[in-house]
Amino acid sequence: MKRKKLVALALVGVMALSLAACGNKEEKSSTKSETKTEGTTAKAEDGYLIKASNQDAKSKDNDLVIAIEGSVSSLDPANIPDTNAISATRGIYDTLVKFNRDLELEGSLAEKWEISDDSLTYTFHLRKDVKFHDGTDFNAQAIVSNYERIIDKENNLRQRRTYIVTNADGSEKNRIESIETPDDYTVVYKLTEAWAPFINRLTQFCVISPKALEEHGNAIMNNPVGTGAFKFQEWEEGDHTTMVKNEDYWGEVPSVDSVTIREVPEAGSRTAMLQTGEADFIYPIPSDQIAAVEGSDDINVHIDDSNIMRYVTLNMNLPELSDVKVRQAMNYAIDKEAYVQVMYNGNAKVATSLVPSIIHGYQEQEAYTYDLEKAKELMKEAGYEDGFKLTLWGDNTSQEIKGMTFVKQQLEQINIDVEVLPMEPATVSDKIYVDKDEAEINMWYVNWSASDFTMDGSLRSLLYSTMVPPTSANTAYYENPEFDALLDDGLHTADESEQKDYYAKAQKMAWEAAPWLFLGNDEVLYSTKSYVSDVYVLPDGAFTFSEAKLAQ
Amino acid sequence: MQKTMINKNITLKPGAEELPKAKNRFVELAKKFSKRKTAVAALIFIIFIILVAIAAPSFVPYDPGASDYFAVLQGPSKAHIWGTDELGQDVFSRLMVGTRLSLSSALIATIVGTAFGVLLGLLAGFYGGIIDSAIMRFCDVMFAFPDILLAIAVVAVIGPGMINVMIAVAVFTVPSFARIIRSATLSVKSQLYIEVARSLGCSNTRILFVHVFPGTIQTMIVNFTMRVGTAILAASSLSFLGFGANVTEPDWGAMLSTGRNYLNTAPHMVLFPGILIFLTVLAFNLLGDGLRDTLDPKLN
Amino acid sequence: MGRYVAKRVVSTLPLIFVISFLIFMFMHLIPGDPARMIAGQDATKEDVAVVREQLGLDKPVLTQYKDYMKGIFSGDMGMSIKNNKTVAETIVPRFGPTILLTLSSITWAALFGIGLGIISAVFRGKPLDYLGMIIAISGISIPGFWLGLEMIQIFSVHLGLLPTAGLDSWRSYILPSLTMGAGIMAVLARFTRSSMLGSLRDDYVRTARAKGQTEGKVIMKHAFKNSSIEIITIIGLQIGGLLSGSVLAETVFSIPGLGRLLVDSINFRDYKVVQALLLFFALEYIIINLVVDVLYGFINPRVRYE
Repeated sequence: MKRKKLVALALVGVMALSLAACGNKEEKSSTKSETKTEGTTAKAEDGYLIKASNQDAKSKDNDLVIAIEGSVSSLDPANIPDTNAISATRGIYDTLVKFNRDLELEGSLAEKWEISDDSLTYTFHLRKDVKFHDGTDFNAQAIVSNYERIIDKENNLRQRRTYIVTNADGSEKNRIESIETPDDYTVVYKLTEAWAPFINRLTQFCVISPKALEEHGNAIMNNPVGTGAFKFQEWEEGDHTTMVKNEDYWGEVPSVDSVTIREVPEAGSRTAMLQTGEADFIYPIPSDQIAAVEGSDDINVHIDDSNIMRYVTLNMNLPELSDVKVRQAMNYAIDKEAYVQVMYNGNAKVATSLVPSIIHGYQEQEAYTYDLEKAKELMKEAGYEDGFKLTLWGDNTSQEIKGMTFVKQQLEQINIDVEVLPMEPATVSDKIYVDKDEAEINMWYVNWSASDFTMDGSLRSLLYSTMVPPTSANTAYYENPEFDALLDDGLHTADESEQKDYYAKAQKMAWEAAPWLFLGNDEVLYSTKSYVSDVYVLPDGAFTFSEAKLAQ
Repeated sequence: MQKTMINKNITLKPGAEELPKAKNRFVELAKKFSKRKTAVAALIFIIFIILVAIAAPSFVPYDPGASDYFAVLQGPSKAHIWGTDELGQDVFSRLMVGTRLSLSSALIATIVGTAFGVLLGLLAGFYGGIIDSAIMRFCDVMFAFPDILLAIAVVAVIGPGMINVMIAVAVFTVPSFARIIRSATLSVKSQLYIEVARSLGCSNTRILFVHVFPGTIQTMIVNFTMRVGTAILAASSLSFLGFGANVTEPDWGAMLSTGRNYLNTAPHMVLFPGILIFLTVLAFNLLGDGLRDTLDPKLN
Repeated sequence: MGRYVAKRVVSTLPLIFVISFLIFMFMHLIPGDPARMIAGQDATKEDVAVVREQLGLDKPVLTQYKDYMKGIFSGDMGMSIKNNKTVAETIVPRFGPTILLTLSSITWAALFGIGLGIISAVFRGKPLDYLGMIIAISGISIPGFWLGLEMIQIFSVHLGLLPTAGLDSWRSYILPSLTMGAGIMAVLARFTRSSMLGSLRDDYVRTARAKGQTEGKVIMKHAFKNSSIEIITIIGLQIGGLLSGSVLAETVFSIPGLGRLLVDSINFRDYKVVQALLLFFALEYIIINLVVDVLYGFINPRVRYE
């Protein structure tokens, strides 16, 4: 209550001041920084951006309805294309280990585990009281069959890429040397070489009932059978996914009777569903919708860090963009504070490195503080005082278009004439994944989130030399062997401080080379009815609902 | 069709003049039109909008592309009479300046579509037979082809922007016009003066363009007017689906589509473009109705 | 008549071939690689190549078309690339919502549109005529997605009367069908008005009047009856447009219908689903057209010879 008033007060203050300050730039920016501090303190304490006045509201039923923007595009946990599908499958499936709300690893199907001193052997001790939804027992053999299914090339599952490395000559190498089961409830993984992110990656290894796998094969995606807190009921692709409480769950049996995940692409419709009570939880609530729920007494808005990095790639093969001075000038020409304010109502952070601060190994970099004079100076030094023309590609959603327009307006200040070209995602990727000499790309307004929170997952596909299109998404065409070496060293070392050191150097190197325009890091924003508790969104955008409670 | 003929005979008799002078006819029509008050109001509104389209850049208070990042999404005020948008741009200025782009693209798309449609309709109706079947089957294909797919295809070929919206809208104008004009041609063709022309030995081409075509003009004008409204709506729907006009240029449809995200928090962003689109399309429709009432002899 | 129908059906068959071919080529020529969509942004070239081979997308386009048509004739429309379901399994559950929505939209639009049209025609030139036409034409002048979103704000959020999303009860149908039907109401009102204006002047209507029948009876029994067949054909044509035109309403109201499936599938480049849907829309359109033409033939024998 108090906090909400504080925010409201701050908002009124800003509005009054900014109206009064019409035409005076300095005054305006000072007002803005005031709100920012105010807003941050308000949210930092408990994750509420808005706390409903009525915290004793009651739910009319015991069925949780979640409305999301995107779609649940698969229920096969080994072949997951997006975060929403990860969230949905986590209701039905369990993993060996998982991240808790504070992003610490904890046991799930594995009660405890040991790692050998050379970091090559991982031993997991499994729970003994677990049954799959189809009544079969969970044991070490289930882990082996799931692993074998994943690495079988015939199955062509996305998770295979976690374990298999493709060498330059096209041959393949498995990161896991062997998997053994000394007894029914122990699994031993032996790695080919030290591979730091291994245990993090296991948080994505869901265990499917081997019996169901045998029965359905890859059609398991339509008939999921796991050990999770909820049993699968219905998946209507493009509309909703429903699951019901698993009465025999090995952990705490869910409090809600069922969970329905509805796909509601229109932000306004999603917010309306929360307001009318048709949905109990919505994710995301875009920052420009927050004002709409502010007045209701039973709606909370939560904010949390996210792993989403927003940036614009600069094709370094273009003559104009090959000069580091130009790329730096462009970074100086962008008012990042204004970016997070305009795009996210201030509910985002200015980018301070190539990765968000919650990525392991993050190191803050020296900011490209908004400075038009410096930017113009650098452009002059590079011989582009009069600027040049560039195109900017991006997805065709309103939010992306707004961001691209912002970038265009900012770069105009240093005489760079940007043509904004929003395209459907499929068209964008078609135009991007082409051979180097056919590349038409100039700039790409895009974002990236590494769901394993590792530095390697964050940077390898985007900046490693061999990852230039069509191989992968290094659309800056940043090719620096020194940088590659640092990423490789980081990946292969088991020593944490040593790894941190490699990654710090890599970040500094790429930050100064400025292959991107570094914009901002989103914050996760979601909204719930105040009678909902223990449903939350992790920084990677995955929502967790296994322990959900609806006050009755 | 027979009904029409009967009616025409009836209406011709009291007219008494076999060949009314062109000027008289125009005055007569203007008189008739002026009785239809909604149509007159619509015409005045359209003229007003056209004037806005021409003059907007010189009278708007702000540069439509100028952003004030510290005054985003503000409601109507003295400084910004229709408020500001998500980038702090003046909504009034953008809408006024956007009139030119929105209106001209709708007009051009409709003109191009109408031209092809009329030509096809004339050929189909006049020659009949295999030409008719071919053209009509072509129209069926066009009708059966969803416009979203076409829009995507056009965007894919020539990139996003206003021009793709225009092409998509124009292409979809063609088949409906072809049909309408074909049936108008059929009824004109069977009239006496065409047979007279034929008996005088006029060539087919001459008959088609000099005698038949003028007979279809009134149908064309009426449908053209209404189609302009449809074109404006289609452009905004395409924006909604993400295949809209160039985003950085002000355009009504794009503004409405963007504004929808702020429907519940900054309603002015959707209200003003929405009302403007609504009124303009309404005006074109009412004008079209009025013209039909005026021009259609059946409705004397 | 029988010969006419037969002729039309025969001339329609090649049309379907042409359409299927066009659709196929279109889908394959527009940019966007389904293999890349499936494999993911971070997939390597090799990963994508594997997927492409599995989907048979590495073959020449014409070979793919041949395979596709072979499949169609043996009743197999192929698999959706998004999930492990056949195209039929993907599409069939989507029919219900769209057809129900279409029917409910048509029903209210027809009742209102025809009503407004008759009133306007009877009171031609009077304020009621203007009012009726302005109401009707408003329906075709308002951008559909705006209308839908505004109605959600008013009827769901502020008044709490109707649900905003999904199709759980009959109440869920009200807002989407209002959104979808507005345009049709306008078309029908307009058409009814001008058709009625014509009929009201016909000789036999005058005769009926002269005979001293009540005005209501004259309007409904004689004039409207005469216009009704034409009105029914217009309704038929509108149904054809509605099925494929439900995209906006289905997006705004989060309804799992054919329109949304089409857009999702186009965005995902799920070729086979798109092809099947488009072919269905085309077929449906052609059939309705055929019925309409035949109906016309009944009313006006001259049409058949032209």
